[in-house]
Amino acid sequence: MTREKRLSQLTPYLFLILPLIIYLIWVIGPMFYTFYLSLTNWDGVSTPDFIGLRNYQRLFKDPVFYISLKNNLKWILSFITIPVVAGLALAMALNRSIPGAKAFKASFYSPLVLSLVVCGLIWGWMYQPANGLINATLRAVGLGALARGWLSDKNLVMWAIIAVGIWRQVGYVMVLYLAGLQGVDPGLIDASKVDGCSGWLTFRHVIFPLLTPVTVIVVVISIIDSLRAFDLVSVMTRGGPYNSSSVLANFMYIQAFNNYKMGYGAAISVVLFLISLVFIFIYLWRVLQTEMEY
Amino acid sequence: MKKFVFPLLAAMTILALVAACQPETVTVEVPVERTVEVQVEVPVERTVEVEVEVEVPVEVEKSLVIYNSYMSDPAPREADAEQVRMFEEMYPNIDVVHSTVAHEDFKQAIRAYLTASTPPDVMTWFAGNRARFFIDKDLIMDISDVWEREGWNETYPAGFRAMSSVGGKQYFVPASWYWWAVYYRADIFDQYGLEPPETWADFLQVCETLKENGVAPIAIGTKYRWTSAAWFDYLNMRVNGPEFHIDLMLGKESYDDPRVLTVFSDYWAPLIENGYFIEDPAAYSWSEALQFLINGEAAMYLMGDFLRDSYPDEEEANLDFFRFPIIDPAVPVGEDAPTDGYFIAANAQHVEEAKQFIAFLGGVEAQQYFADNLGRLPTNMEVDTGGFTDMQKKGLALIQSADFVAQFYDRDTTPEMADVGMNGFMEFWDNPGDIADILARLEATRQEVFAEE
Amino acid sequence: MTTKKFFSSPWRTIGYLVLLAITILWLVPFIQAILTSVRTNDDLMRRGFFSLPTEISLQSYAEAWRRGGLEYYLPNSFIITIPSLVLTLFLSSLSAYALARFRFRGNRLLLFTYIGGMLLPFQVLMLPVFRLTDALGLYDTHWGIIAFHTAFQLGFCTFLLRNYMRTVPGEILEAARIDGCSEFRIWWQIMMPLTLPAVAALATLEFTWIFNDYLWAIVLLRSDTLKPVTAGLATLQGQYVMDWTVITSGALLATVPTVLVFIFLQRYFIEGLTLGATKG
Repeated sequence: MTREKRLSQLTPYLFLILPLIIYLIWVIGPMFYTFYLSLTNWDGVSTPDFIGLRNYQRLFKDPVFYISLKNNLKWILSFITIPVVAGLALAMALNRSIPGAKAFKASFYSPLVLSLVVCGLIWGWMYQPANGLINATLRAVGLGALARGWLSDKNLVMWAIIAVGIWRQVGYVMVLYLAGLQGVDPGLIDASKVDGCSGWLTFRHVIFPLLTPVTVIVVVISIIDSLRAFDLVSVMTRGGPYNSSSVLANFMYIQAFNNYKMGYGAAISVVLFLISLVFIFIYLWRVLQTEMEY
Repeated sequence: MKKFVFPLLAAMTILALVAACQPETVTVEVPVERTVEVQVEVPVERTVEVEVEVEVPVEVEKSLVIYNSYMSDPAPREADAEQVRMFEEMYPNIDVVHSTVAHEDFKQAIRAYLTASTPPDVMTWFAGNRARFFIDKDLIMDISDVWEREGWNETYPAGFRAMSSVGGKQYFVPASWYWWAVYYRADIFDQYGLEPPETWADFLQVCETLKENGVAPIAIGTKYRWTSAAWFDYLNMRVNGPEFHIDLMLGKESYDDPRVLTVFSDYWAPLIENGYFIEDPAAYSWSEALQFLINGEAAMYLMGDFLRDSYPDEEEANLDFFRFPIIDPAVPVGEDAPTDGYFIAANAQHVEEAKQFIAFLGGVEAQQYFADNLGRLPTNMEVDTGGFTDMQKKGLALIQSADFVAQFYDRDTTPEMADVGMNGFMEFWDNPGDIADILARLEATRQEVFAEE
Repeated sequence: MTTKKFFSSPWRTIGYLVLLAITILWLVPFIQAILTSVRTNDDLMRRGFFSLPTEISLQSYAEAWRRGGLEYYLPNSFIITIPSLVLTLFLSSLSAYALARFRFRGNRLLLFTYIGGMLLPFQVLMLPVFRLTDALGLYDTHWGIIAFHTAFQLGFCTFLLRNYMRTVPGEILEAARIDGCSEFRIWWQIMMPLTLPAVAALATLEFTWIFNDYLWAIVLLRSDTLKPVTAGLATLQGQYVMDWTVITSGALLATVPTVLVFIFLQRYFIEGLTLGATKG
């Protein structure tokens, strides 16, 4: 019995050994190496010199770091509001038998099929000031005064890029909520209607609370996606004009690969990683709490 | 952490062993002619032999040279491929494994290439400071013997030789270069009775006339920033002279020097404030902004000669260029003429083949081809300039009459300084009044960047 | 509800029309991309977007195909994507099973490790991973990039599959255990068939991600003969030249395989996206 028990205790490790080794070598190893690099002045080709916390000291004095951080925050705030509300509204609207519901759903999640790079290219062209669709339309309907250099105005550029992110995100959130609604017992809704609840009250007091787990996930995913934002900025502006659309991931990339400050780039990633970690903790804490049946 | 070390090492060893048995299968899978390289590793590979029989009937043993290039624009790319073809024709027993990487990405990948255990043998790169960095780190091979053997010490102008040398040894082959100038629409100039300006006052007058007639005087697209650096290069060289400019690039002069401030406040800012540039330049890449010139909405464009690659051929008759106007006649004339070339990686695997290839690339035949077909200027003095177009002759004369030739802002200074500097130019463009603050920040960066060197 | 009945209420009809309008607006970027791709750059630049195209041509597609060297690069994309996909799904289903179904020391820590690795801004791993790949002799081989994709996607896949596997009722597995099945048989013959929808969904997502990768391809590969299609498309954007119609056409062409996979597995895809949501 004891031998058998010991064997069964070994079982999970047998399942884990191969994936874990690969993961440790290719992801966790380089990750620790990155932590180490953040304490050096590595330029990518020379031998790294240990310089202690100098990169971090420099980072906290770097105005671009704060611009990027602020932009990531804008991104987070937009992502946890607009797509969530719009996605939920769409899910509510489409979660019934209306003509062409399937086509509607497909239209909204179709942007997800495109890679972010392709999205960036398509929208970059939409935003083009002289011939792009948006300004051309504004001029055609007599609103030429509203035409802007969407990606060249330092006050607009970040929002213009975030709008593209939202365009892609709404369908994703919609699908998540649609799935969540599948789990809502129609009987409950009927019951509340019998009690004389209006549509809004039913939603507010019955459906929305039932969707809380979905909302939590949506919010966490949105925050993490916002922190990892990279491709759209990289394709559309490379952080310009003069860093006004820089986000942390791009800031890191430019320092590491354009300016060849690998050590500094590593320090930026570590900070970004630590910020993400806060949200992972919150999320995991929630998930594991609901899994108490262990 | 310690717990992980042993399994990690063990797994690495196993994987390395597994890997060692793998490469052949990988290359075989790829259905491209170039897989001929397989022959070196796997002597009896029937399928490949068939292919070889078709192409080169007699040859049994082929050696190869790996060549990675950043010439990804359509016209240079074709010329590049053609050069490789010419070389393979001349040396049928050497196969060139040629890869083209998108220009921007090449600049990022090069540090991986150079430090890989199997780097590409021959690579394209920028002459000057950017090559110097890698030479100092012993990542580029000394090819003085090639220079000697090919007689380049005599057939290359001293300036290009100096550009390729460190400590009396040659590491680089400058192969082609181009000039910068103010391109303009001759027909629009004629229409308003304008002459190509030679002095700053004339230039301002031309701008004013064009503007009055509803033509944007100057096209520029600053989305990718570097086009604004050209304006800085030229204004700074014209106002303060090329020597000061280069010292600034090398970190020996400071950005908060009043001489630098003058460039912005007295010369550049008025151009912006008077509306001489097209509207909203930051929204366009340089080639998108070129459309304004093609459509006749703008009349001038400070740009490198690659502009003509993108200009519609049928309309090129209306296109001409003039030297960036002289501001202070007492100051020596400096011009930007970026030079591209080739080097061999220090730990190249196919040294002899690489030397043969690079000798070909720097030789008369290849350069002649590049000059004739792409309109770039050759570095090798033996190239016959008799067949040059009028444009090429004019460009050559422009550079030859200069007192000093610079590379370009982002090639002459360090990448980090260039990054911060070009952001500063863009910020200045939006807020010309903030220039003192901007320069103070550039100066802070300069001190940081060059203190480390 | 029948269509007729649906539109009997004016409010409902108005709501429907609003929805329709928003949907069309949503699709505008696609439409404009397709319209752009069938015009010529000259035509577009000279005459503006709202002009009628002087000619409709597929020339830019041909140009993108030729200049992007798509016929050389496409096979590489599959050679890289498919093994990475299979390996990562296989390996993550192993680790997910262990994390979902066993109590052991370090379970939480490992789950945390997997999620943590998935959240690191991966661009920064580029040079360390390049060094590693080179040291293993895998630089400039397909195996090098396959190994990395496999490893890197393990975090996300393990996380999602674990969540899904936890929803499988324990009784089924217990019954098998009592019948004397080995854990590996339970995993393969009972758990995997039950997890198949999730695996299919993940396959769709992972296919898109790995197929669209470009950064790793330029760091871990140096030969054109090995590079995936994204690298070919990148060369369409030259140092100096930006041809919108060709770039757009290339981008659309590169999307075709992912769209096909998506259409093919669409049913699972929606379910797959919900994995974390309802089952988390």
